[in-house]
Amino acid sequence: MTGALSLPSLPAALRVWRRNLRVFSKIWRGALLPLFFDPLFYLVAMGFGLGTYIAHINGVPYREFIAPGLCASAVMWAASFEMAWNAFFKMEETRLYDSILATPIEVEDLVTGELLWAGTRAVIYGTTFLIVISAFGLVESGWAAAMPPFLLLGGLCFATIGLAYTSLIPKMDYFTFYFTLFITPMFLFGGIFFPYDKLPEWAQVVAWFTPLYHLVLVCRELATGPDAAAVAGNAAWLAVLTALLFSVPVVALRRRLVA
Amino acid sequence: MRPLGFAGDVAVRARGLAKRYDGIVALDGVDFDVRTGQCFGFLGPNGAGKTTTMKMIYGLAAVQDGTLEVLGRDISRERRAVKARLGVVPQEDNLDRELTVRENLLVQAGYFGIGSEEAERRVAELLEFSLLAGRSDAMVRQLSGGMRRRLLIARALVNEPELVVLDEPTTGLDPQARQTLWHTLDRLRDQGVTLLLTTHYMEEAARLCDRLVILDLGRIVAEGSPDELIARYGQPHLEAVFLHLTGHELDR
Repeated sequence: MTGALSLPSLPAALRVWRRNLRVFSKIWRGALLPLFFDPLFYLVAMGFGLGTYIAHINGVPYREFIAPGLCASAVMWAASFEMAWNAFFKMEETRLYDSILATPIEVEDLVTGELLWAGTRAVIYGTTFLIVISAFGLVESGWAAAMPPFLLLGGLCFATIGLAYTSLIPKMDYFTFYFTLFITPMFLFGGIFFPYDKLPEWAQVVAWFTPLYHLVLVCRELATGPDAAAVAGNAAWLAVLTALLFSVPVVALRRRLVA
Repeated sequence: MRPLGFAGDVAVRARGLAKRYDGIVALDGVDFDVRTGQCFGFLGPNGAGKTTTMKMIYGLAAVQDGTLEVLGRDISRERRAVKARLGVVPQEDNLDRELTVRENLLVQAGYFGIGSEEAERRVAELLEFSLLAGRSDAMVRQLSGGMRRRLLIARALVNEPELVVLDEPTTGLDPQARQTLWHTLDRLRDQGVTLLLTTHYMEEAARLCDRLVILDLGRIVAEGSPDELIARYGQPHLEAVFLHLTGHELDR
């Protein structure tokens, strides 16, 4: 059996990525809209509704405070959906992964290709939303244009966590736990809707351990005029977690599909 | 048709092949040689170890004990290189349901790193070969069972494989579809492609296979050409040989 640490082949991974791009190019209209309206509704409800009562947070108008965070959450939702149901479907229902693994593509290439794709899809959603909030005039700094590579990084991080979970669960029902106990709480408590700097220290510590918190900070920094050190620090946090978790889906899928 | 870098005339060589899943013995020390250009059959009741053997050959099950050489290479060490030269027709239909017939073949060519011009050429050829040219823009779910099986076979040929592994290729097909498939397999063998197949249909094994093994409870209980086996066990036909050798199944 080949070692758990075999490095992926990038050309092989990109073949998987290209397959997904081909499928997406047929369905993007229907696929883009729901996930795009979702953050938009939150922006309207919170930013324009609640924002009427909460005028400013740390000197920033409330709408402008939450808008960049919603780019981050768009990324989180897109990558998570892709690597939860879509990946499980390909793994257990259509057995597409089996057919791919019977070609010269190995598990580590398949995982890399799937993660790169989920990251790509996340960037598409996050960037689309960034364009929308820019059009609403909710982005203050031109540095926001530098956001997409960071959205990709965040997308890769959520994709890796998602695929790690998917590769370990026996049934699709377990996604309920993933979304209700992990993704939704992050969305609510990840620092999109309120800042953490005035909350008790323990709350800040808990938030520090969640990936969305860091991606929200990166997006907000870039949208409001960045502190380079804060951007780099939070981005590094995401990169380290992604790298640490990468081998989990590789090992689990190898055990599951080619044992 | 004989490829570079492969001098031997044995396409698959297994020695002492064994595997357990969760304490259950799936394969219990199996030896066999598949000669290049032959059609080689694996017969046996459900759970005899046929699919496990097939999956080991195409890299979707790890070899636990023993050695398995496919196209002159150790599959455990050189899986990627071996898979590049194999075609696989799995038991379950795992076609890409989000793509059309033509795209299934094009994307498969992509997985093998075949350039787009060459891929287009091969795909056009395979659509003709598998009698699917008229359905090339149909989605997989719109195809009949026989068409899907033909598409699975066409997909397995995109990389011009030297060895094609077929796990129960005709199960669930009507007699017409089965005949069409047999003709397809005949044509492949005429081109010098080695075929390895499992089947539950004795008349299919007798019709297609040059040699076959009968597996039972993870062991080979008989090996030979269909005629040899019939003569050796003094039975009227292959089905009688099969029941004679694996008859304990009836008691279960």
